[in-house]
Amino acid sequence: MSQVKISHVFKRFGDVTAVNDFNIDIADGEFISFLGPSGCGKTTTLRMVAGFEKATEGEIVIGDTVVSSSEKGIFVPPEKRGVGMVFQSYAVWPHMNVIDNVGYPLKIQKVPKEERLARVMEMLELVHLKEYAERLPSQLSGGQQQRVALARALVARPSLLLLDEPLSNLDAKLRESMRFEISQIQKKLGITVIYVTHDQSEAMTMSDRIVCMSMGNVQQIGKPYEIYSHPANKMVADFVGLINFLDAETKGDRVFIKGTDYSFANPGEKTGNVVLAVRPENITMSMNGGHMKGIVTDKFYLGDAIDYRVQVGESTVRVIDKGADLDAVPAGREVYLDFDRVMVFDKD
Amino acid sequence: MKSLPRFDSKFIVIALSVIVLLYFIVFPMLVLIYDSLFINGQLDISNYRDVYGKDVNWRALTNTIYLSLGVMVASVIITFPLAWLVGRTDLPGKKTFRTILVASYMIPPYVGAIAWVQLLNPSVGYLNDVFKWMFHLTQAPFDIYTMWGLGWVLTLFYSPFAFITISRAMEKMDPTLEEAARVSGAGPLKTLWDVTLPLMAPSILAGGLLVFIAAGSCFGIPAIVGMPGNIEVLTTRIVTFVYMGDDKGIRDATALAVSLMILANFLLFFMTWMLGRKDYTTISGKSTRPNIVELGKWKWAALLFVGGYAFISVILPLGSIIMTSFLVSMSKGIELSNFGFDAWVPVITSTQYLESIWLSVEYAVIAACIGTLLSIFVAYLSVKTNITGRSLPDLLVVLGGSTPSIVIALALIITFSGNYGLNIYSTMWILVVSYLVKYMTMSVRTIAASLSQVHISLEEAALNSGASWIRCCKDIIMPLIAPSIIAGWFLIFMPSFYELTMSNLLYGADTKTIGVLLYELQTYADTQNASVLSVIILIIVLVGNLILNKLTGGKVSI
Repeated sequence: MSQVKISHVFKRFGDVTAVNDFNIDIADGEFISFLGPSGCGKTTTLRMVAGFEKATEGEIVIGDTVVSSSEKGIFVPPEKRGVGMVFQSYAVWPHMNVIDNVGYPLKIQKVPKEERLARVMEMLELVHLKEYAERLPSQLSGGQQQRVALARALVARPSLLLLDEPLSNLDAKLRESMRFEISQIQKKLGITVIYVTHDQSEAMTMSDRIVCMSMGNVQQIGKPYEIYSHPANKMVADFVGLINFLDAETKGDRVFIKGTDYSFANPGEKTGNVVLAVRPENITMSMNGGHMKGIVTDKFYLGDAIDYRVQVGESTVRVIDKGADLDAVPAGREVYLDFDRVMVFDKD
Repeated sequence: MKSLPRFDSKFIVIALSVIVLLYFIVFPMLVLIYDSLFINGQLDISNYRDVYGKDVNWRALTNTIYLSLGVMVASVIITFPLAWLVGRTDLPGKKTFRTILVASYMIPPYVGAIAWVQLLNPSVGYLNDVFKWMFHLTQAPFDIYTMWGLGWVLTLFYSPFAFITISRAMEKMDPTLEEAARVSGAGPLKTLWDVTLPLMAPSILAGGLLVFIAAGSCFGIPAIVGMPGNIEVLTTRIVTFVYMGDDKGIRDATALAVSLMILANFLLFFMTWMLGRKDYTTISGKSTRPNIVELGKWKWAALLFVGGYAFISVILPLGSIIMTSFLVSMSKGIELSNFGFDAWVPVITSTQYLESIWLSVEYAVIAACIGTLLSIFVAYLSVKTNITGRSLPDLLVVLGGSTPSIVIALALIITFSGNYGLNIYSTMWILVVSYLVKYMTMSVRTIAASLSQVHISLEEAALNSGASWIRCCKDIIMPLIAPSIIAGWFLIFMPSFYELTMSNLLYGADTKTIGVLLYELQTYADTQNASVLSVIILIIVLVGNLILNKLTGGKVSI
């Protein structure tokens, strides 16, 4: 049985369709990310699950309860949905100290004071904030406020936790360590998580499955590996990781890079004018011979690698070489390239 | 390459401006305080003892405090739900209501007082007549000439201060703070109580204190509504003492004025401190649209409440004034045959009336031009330079604006009637100076706000492109801040145009402004001419506001 079921959900603001036919079954204990550029509808979908937006059409089920259904005229307000949520801006109440902030959901549930305090302290221990219990939010750093928000979202033991870009206001180092912390807490509590982000590496490292969204549409749902290696379309391929796109044409069961005789076995069924895609790390560059010839037009030193631009026919290919001899190939030099794991997509 | 000019002449200019502001703002107040405390050079608090020894003055002080407190509490209680309903719910027509509620801010308070006297005076008040007819009463149910009546009018005309402050704070609050409460299990009302109200408390208090100060410093409303019922407040007592004309009268007036000044400035200081406390600042992320509460079955009750308030506070008094101005005869009833332009013809053909209108426009234009120029300078100094003391002129301007009008007027009288060199008493210049002292602060705020939006790099880019500093001002800075300069001009022009409190004490035989004329007409019970003049003032203010709105895209208005 699924923990969250979103079926045929639409959200329209006037003439604008913000979310277009969203469908997913989320299993109990699963960590799901909604990934996409800003304005793709991911936050709107999350807010519909939380109850802050009303779906124009469709049905949302949490556990056994239908919380939103346009057809049955059901709409459960946010306070009755029993979910935890962490906001991008933390939304820690500045007029309450850490204990009062974290204990608020229990206070609403009228949990007796002593039990409440015990459970709050348990949560603060989980997020490593025990020694800050008496402080006001203004005396905490951004990262600490974020932990308060997390503890508050978890204290009532919800079976579903919603996170709306929780790490985007933190600095890069803290962001990375918080990723692991959130992952660990999720595994420890076995809670179902929906995590909204525009950061692909966050989604990749933490999620069981990723929902890739663009302009209100779900582009692909899959495990991080599937999204990266087998993107459903050009948009997903472009949004997740670095990738080269080359104009190409199919002839028989081969795909030819435009303006050249270089060809590859067509991995799919797309034909005609297409786009050939290959990730930089799947390109081997050599001086001694290979499948294709190209000319190095530019190179950028990255520290652990060199980022080359290589002209092949009419196209420029980006190659990231982590080879041992980093300074070997000067600009203007002719090189040989081999592509591995090529993908073929429709042109836009 | 040129760099920003670092002329030392800046210091001279600053020194000059500080001296001018000190001379016209701070010096008169010091003279006022000195005069209240010293008699013939000797420290002597007998002024205070004399004044507060008399029952009538003591009662004026307590009346002022009771009224201001009552008006403050009533304003907050009414405007918080109004601001919430208009800002955070799906109330039908909320945009229109917001405009109406803010608009009542631009009606001169004494015009409101005249309107309510027409509506609720015990002998011929329109509303009283309606109630008598509806409920078959023999006596008028309401009497405006009481403390309650005075409090009623003050509340209606000063609550926009609270409404504006509270709705701004509500707009600025991060809506996810409320959403976090909802998702924690709190319903909309519980959220309002546990999160929204405590977070807004400082702003609510600030709005309330603004109302308190404005109500306590107001002269027009107590003069028109209170005096006929023998209710005196500090401002009316001060005017009475000044009218006595002798030294003793002035000295008693100074003691009362200093009391009022201390009350008002202390409260403002407290309010600034309150709002500046850091505990309530929050980090806000991307701005989500505020969560709109669906009123459901309460929609109509809410609409009745907001609509009723808008009707009572704006439409009813304006309607009364406009209707009265078109009555042919006050003694006849409200019937179609009794409507006409009869009252308008003598007013718009009378040289005396037109002269007053013209003088008011003239003084307001002069004040607005000088004030805007000074404001640009003060704003530039405090926002764009980093010289020590750059914000001192700004502070002096704020001090002037926060001082009750009646106190400014009295201070100017005793300072600039020849005792300390300059004698501009009874001339138009004392009026212009008083308008500048009182109203420059809004203009400085507006211009400074827009000036701070012009990042220094924009100027540096112009200099880097080869423009001289003067050229840079002309090509880059001026076009960017032009709307705020025009807004600043109107922010001085409009309140100066219909000013009453200070003009009433400072006008001379040849400098009678429209506010003073209107006040005289009302006190001589010439209700119809007063109404016609009120309508004319309202039209001019309305036109000014429309221009202002057009120029600033609705961001600034009186």
